[in-house]
Amino acid sequence: MTHQRTLSFTLNGRPVTATARTHETILEVLQRDFGLFGARESCGQGLCGCCTLLVNGTAVSGCLYLAAFADGAELVTVEGLARGGTQHPIQCAFVEKSGFQCGFCTPGMILMTKELLGRHPRPTDEQIRHYLSGNLCRCATYPDIIESVRRAAELV
Amino acid sequence: MKAFELVEPATIDDAIALLDAGDPGVRAVAGGSALVPMMKARLFQPTRLVSLRRIGGALRGIHAGDGGLRIGALATLTELEHSTRVRDAAPVMSRALRTLSNVRIRNVATLGGHLAHGDPHMDLPPILLTLGARVRVAGRGGERWIDINDLFLGYYQTAVAAGELITEVHVSAQPHDARTWYEKFTALSADDWPTVGAAVWYRTAGDRIGEARVAVSAATERPVRIAAAEQILTGAAPSAETFGAAADAAAAAVDPLADIRGSAAYKREMVRVHVRRALEKAR
Amino acid sequence: MGSLDFARGREVGRSLGRLEAAAKVDGTVEYIHNLRLPGMLHGRIHRSSIPHGRIVRIDTSAALAVAGVHAVVTADDVARLVPDPYYGPAFHDQPILATGKVRHVGEPVAVVLADNPHAAEEAADLVAVEYEPLEAVFDEVAAAAPDAPVLHDELRPAGMFTDLKHLAGRRDTNVALDARLRSGDVEQAFAEAEHVFEHTFRTGKVMHAAFEPMVTVAEPHAAGGLTIHTASQSPSFVRSEISRLLGWPENRVRVRTAFLGGGFGAKLYIKLEAMAAVCALLARRPVRIALSMDEQFYTITKHGATVRIKTGVARDGRMTARQVETFWNGGAYADIGPRVTQKSGFSAAGPYDIEHVALDNYAVYTNEPPAGALRGFGISQLVWAYERQADVIARTLGIDPLEFRRRNALRNGRPHATGTVVVGMEVDAVLDRLAEAMAWDKPFDRGTGTIRRGRGIGIGVKACVSPTTSTAAVHIYGDGSCAVHCSTVDMGQGSDTTMAQIAAEVLGIPTTDVRVVHPDTDVTPYDMATLGSRSTFHMGNAVRRAAEDARAQIERMAPGATSFRDAMLARFAMQAGTVVGFGSYAPSYQKPDPETGLSANITPFWMLGGAGAEVEVDTETGRITVTKLVNVADVGRAINPASVERQLTGAAIMQLGFTLFEEMVFSDGQVLNASLADYKIPGFLDVPRELTGTFVEAPHPEGPFGAKGVGETGIFSPSPAIANALYDATGVMLYDMPLTPERVLRAIREAGGRPLEQA
Ligand SMILES: Cc1cc2nc3c(=O)[nH]c(=O)nc-3n(C[C@H](O)[C@H](O)[C@H](O)COP(=O)(O)OP(=O)(O)OC[C@H]3O[C@@H](n4cnc5c(N)ncnc54)[C@H](O)[C@@H]3O)c2cc1C
Ligand code: FES
Ligand code: FES
Repeated sequence: MTHQRTLSFTLNGRPVTATARTHETILEVLQRDFGLFGARESCGQGLCGCCTLLVNGTAVSGCLYLAAFADGAELVTVEGLARGGTQHPIQCAFVEKSGFQCGFCTPGMILMTKELLGRHPRPTDEQIRHYLSGNLCRCATYPDIIESVRRAAELV
Repeated sequence: MKAFELVEPATIDDAIALLDAGDPGVRAVAGGSALVPMMKARLFQPTRLVSLRRIGGALRGIHAGDGGLRIGALATLTELEHSTRVRDAAPVMSRALRTLSNVRIRNVATLGGHLAHGDPHMDLPPILLTLGARVRVAGRGGERWIDINDLFLGYYQTAVAAGELITEVHVSAQPHDARTWYEKFTALSADDWPTVGAAVWYRTAGDRIGEARVAVSAATERPVRIAAAEQILTGAAPSAETFGAAADAAAAAVDPLADIRGSAAYKREMVRVHVRRALEKAR
Repeated sequence: MGSLDFARGREVGRSLGRLEAAAKVDGTVEYIHNLRLPGMLHGRIHRSSIPHGRIVRIDTSAALAVAGVHAVVTADDVARLVPDPYYGPAFHDQPILATGKVRHVGEPVAVVLADNPHAAEEAADLVAVEYEPLEAVFDEVAAAAPDAPVLHDELRPAGMFTDLKHLAGRRDTNVALDARLRSGDVEQAFAEAEHVFEHTFRTGKVMHAAFEPMVTVAEPHAAGGLTIHTASQSPSFVRSEISRLLGWPENRVRVRTAFLGGGFGAKLYIKLEAMAAVCALLARRPVRIALSMDEQFYTITKHGATVRIKTGVARDGRMTARQVETFWNGGAYADIGPRVTQKSGFSAAGPYDIEHVALDNYAVYTNEPPAGALRGFGISQLVWAYERQADVIARTLGIDPLEFRRRNALRNGRPHATGTVVVGMEVDAVLDRLAEAMAWDKPFDRGTGTIRRGRGIGIGVKACVSPTTSTAAVHIYGDGSCAVHCSTVDMGQGSDTTMAQIAAEVLGIPTTDVRVVHPDTDVTPYDMATLGSRSTFHMGNAVRRAAEDARAQIERMAPGATSFRDAMLARFAMQAGTVVGFGSYAPSYQKPDPETGLSANITPFWMLGGAGAEVEVDTETGRITVTKLVNVADVGRAINPASVERQLTGAAIMQLGFTLFEEMVFSDGQVLNASLADYKIPGFLDVPRELTGTFVEAPHPEGPFGAKGVGETGIFSPSPAIANALYDATGVMLYDMPLTPERVLRAIREAGGRPLEQA
């Protein structure tokens, strides 16, 4: 049936399969089938970044990403960053610098930091702002988030 | 969103065959970054989406040659942003890409989708109008080229017909002395769609402007070249007066649409200011 | 040491990280947003497409035909369960689903219940409603006029909160409340004043846009009770109101919350809870209703306001009289608007010592979405007016703006306009800190050419809402570990950590050893709500008392024990038992006189916030760039200084958005920009290059360890500071917020005699 798909993809390092309807986004599948809520929908329009996940190593808005497109891809969510119970250095940096308040935007900020540091391991403030400018924080924790990213660059 | 049929053909021909349904509910989807928001807002409910993502080769890649840049329709905006070929051939594009939406969107959005969508607020169309470009289109009846000047017909309307696909975009080779600039003005938050986009291109011959191109977007129902401004520039000295006169002509020529980012009068004024600034900054 | 070490000073006053930090960075933190229950149905709301009209017919057949749809609930179904379906904290005016009539675009008319959200959404679009349109009114001043179309036939006061008991049942008017204050004789004073200044200021409607959109999951119990899992700032209120609607005792309704992904006042009182509860009881299955960001624009907003302000000033620059008339655009349902009207209204004299004051505040119904509390609770609308006017007065009289404020400062020991003698409010200290942070006495470069620079300040005051109650319990378990039970909701402000710090300070243990149990009305005791910056003061006091009670019990139980564990073992002879300390706090209060609005004790504490801004104005586009923004708050004492600073800078940026570009744009009651695509909020690139949140400390006699609230303080003054900086830079006066580039450019061009054409 063309309205429904069986998808095979890698999720946080594990090969998995799931069934999704064509009009479902990858967020719905992550939440329903895998109990992962780190990527979460807020604006629903690609603007805020709360729904960020990495697909084949690059950040996308999960709220606009059709689940079917995940077939064959490698997906990483914020839950997949820690290694053997140890937080990823970016997560440590966000804890150390308290780069959050309500925390709803935080996974997106962390994953975007990962993309940034992948391209610019020693980012300038300009580069930090450039990469993060499409992630919004309604608590406006921006100054502490920038501090967290700077710290993350030291730790990674 | 509502259920629809999703097909993922492996070739351009198959894609075209699947598209040609004479049904407005059938559309191609590339990055989905323009289409899915419309579907979520229930402005568009497809019956069938033809995904291009499994089509390889011909639709991908960024090539530079004597004739300019050849960019596959599926090249993502991120690929363009980081491409040294684009930076060398058209630095004005690289700069504009940095403020075009955000990293997540650029990671999936494609040049083909960007142009086919016909949204007057897009940042690259006015730039391509000034650089000179052609869009290669394939359909049941074969292939054709559309000059960029003929691509944008109206509000969300392009010359790409229902059953056709953009396969490639060809950006003209730029003469060494061409000066270019793009001014993006956002009226609300700094990071936003443009309220006005102003792209300029000119060359000088001696102490005069030899040839000039001016394009405006976002304020208008489609990205447009401004002939009146170009005429003023051509043959004139590249001075503050000339630039001011060209900017006035651009402001007089446009027919701005009012929206929550500004009234028609305000946008007209912003066209004036930003065309002038773009001319002053062109390099 | 031979006994428990209760030495003070190790936990309070430290910038500790959040207790829940790890869960927030690894994505596993609990929000109600994440909750899925077995057998759960998804509710989707069909909303009114018109601003005012009678419902003639609702046709649900097409919706019911969609595969996966279980039911379509309308007012008729609600009535079977709840014969009187109206709720609200001030008036019982808001129906669970539109009953007979709709009063704003976006009002819920029906709820589709389906197996999956997509089917629910598709079906909600297919509900067909026939309306008979009625004349609508949107402007708050027009709606208050006698000939305006009336929204509600009769107004029935809720009678729930002590401070709102005076609301009388009214008929044939859109004015839900007029709150007045009369102190001295303004007419006489204006006649005697050297100068009289009169202006009208306006602020538009803005929206909270909390990132976790509103969500409620209602779960009926086979035994006849109900659990409501909800992203709410007021679980105790939800329990009372749902029980009242259902006619049940409170003990059959359990309300629980988790961390909130932001609140800012949006998630107070009843939002989705009544609807979800009724749907779940009708369907006999759990029901989840989760709004999209876009739907929130039709659910609750901040009040737009028109403020007419008249101030008399003596030759020496001292303000002698002030008259303020404020019309609050409350939208179609009062929500907490009457309290905003009254509690904020009486503060319109500002942090100034003005002898003659007359204030009139009107809470007005209009056919726009309901307005309620938004961080600052009406204060920023008033500060916008009186602090803009302050600069006009200062400039006209040739007095430095800072000096003008110093000259008029309301000092401790002096009576406020309400008659309450002020204690614990440090106007001079805040102004001094502001002057220092802004280098006010240093020369300032005002720019040349098309970029002009300017700087400005503002200062605003709020009286904390009163009287309200908080209660808390501190549990010591058999192994000596400790948990705080309280119904304060951590929506990002960091209350869990603050409460843990307070308990830890009293108990002499590390904050990280304290667990804070999230609001669950079956478990955590009553709290009025998490709002109005009241929690640190009220709940902080309750937690402190509860911890003191627990400590005293332990000391009595096992004198000389060196740890809680030992104390418990000494008492129970094994790892067993619980010691429960209880604490409650409600400040004293004197109800204002209904005629004069005067009261000898109007508030437990005053919140004072000053702001300074430096701006660059592009005089060709009207775009303002705020290059420096400073917030200074009088916080009593900072329990967690880093958290306080973060609240202050966060509030500054939020208010910067409200000042420069956030505004809901309406056309015939329809929101034209109901999405973050068009309703822009500040992002990284909007943050001023220099941004500071700083505070002065003067321990409040009654605050826990001297602390006062701070969540809203940073909201009060950035707007006038920015507008005053614009005024300084360009000489241009703007009366309406936000200061969009178009408004600024129009004003500049107007002033330069080259007006921009209209339209
Ligand atoms: C939050 C957000 C912010 C944005 N901000 C900006 C901005 O500031 N400036 C800006 O310029 N843009 C902005 N965009 C728009 C972005 O540039 C477009 O979404 C994107 O370029 C579209 O590309 P796509 O591949 O995702 O298109 P899709 O969504 O896949 O398709 C768009 C349209 O093009 C058609 N189509 C796609 N590919 C082809 C093809 N090869 N041939 C024929 N038709 C095709 C589709 O049928 C559809 O009608 C923003 C988008 C979002 C979501
Ligand atoms: S929810 Fe996807 S970007 Fe906001
Ligand atoms: S921390 Fe609340 S949205 Fe960013």
